Amino acid sequence: MPEPVTSQDLMRYLDGELTPDERLRVEHALAESAVLREELATFRSLRSGFHELTFVETSAESSIWHRVATHVARPTGRVFVIMGVTAWVTYGIYVIAIDAHDPWARMLVAAVAIGILALFAAVIRDRYRSWSEDQ
Amino acid sequence: MQPELERELIRKCRAGDPRFYEPLVRAYEPPGLRLAVAMLGNPEDAQDALQEAFVKAYGTLARFDLRKPFGPWFFQILRNQCRDMLRSRKAKFRVEALDERLESRPADPEMGPERARQRNAARQLLWRGLERIGDEHREILVLKELQGFRYSEIAQILEIPEGTVASRLFHARHALQTALQDLGVEYP
Repeated sequence: MPEPVTSQDLMRYLDGELTPDERLRVEHALAESAVLREELATFRSLRSGFHELTFVETSAESSIWHRVATHVARPTGRVFVIMGVTAWVTYGIYVIAIDAHDPWARMLVAAVAIGILALFAAVIRDRYRSWSEDQ
Repeated sequence: MQPELERELIRKCRAGDPRFYEPLVRAYEPPGLRLAVAMLGNPEDAQDALQEAFVKAYGTLARFDLRKPFGPWFFQILRNQCRDMLRSRKAKFRVEALDERLESRPADPEMGPERARQRNAARQLLWRGLERIGDEHREILVLKELQGFRYSEIAQILEIPEGTVASRLFHARHALQTALQDLGVEYP
């Protein structure tokens, strides 16, 4: 007695992923079963709907290459700018924190510093999570 | 793009010349945009996701296995980017934003207005159906039906065993069928 055709077999048949022997087995089962033929017809009908969905093909002018290029072409410059701004802000906070005599001013500076550190940690965490998922 | 040419371009990018990345971006932009639009439901978020995916891919080219094709690897990064955007609520799948700008197929002069209206209605229904099913169902349908990937490639992109692809596709198609039936579509 031949093996019964499963829903996965039907999907592989529909998508052309079966070996010739497996295909013959499914075709034999289809010839025997009206229910199976109906199920296959429904899935074929679903597939044909996707053929109606078409998308604008990007032209050379509207390509996102220029947006990508600004990120990949100047990594060194960007790294230096980020490092420079970070060092500058850190030094500024340090100077104000050391020189300020008013305890409120120190507390405000400390709050700003903690906020920046928290934001930085959040960015690093998000980047690490994305990097881990891309591995 | 020929695999050998792809490998050569990637080698040159790895050597530090980003100009050689341009042909890869231009080759994978149209299918990438289709995937991102179908996953996110609107072209603006899709373009942002695509740009970010290309930048990430460039940054990790050093770890890319040159014996494998670039496409599935890149689409895996893009798929993760789309999922990140959906998860972080930067984007939400919404078909309201999909409009005629997405449609490239010119109106067939032979087609009467009634047929054109029917085709447009069918397209809208399909988008509505896709909106109703889960992200997981939608992404596998898009990879199969819009991108035409083989099961082995889908397995690589989704990071699942190849044997699971058929089962996931069955459930996704079944979910879409149910969603469309709820919207009034009748099947034989």
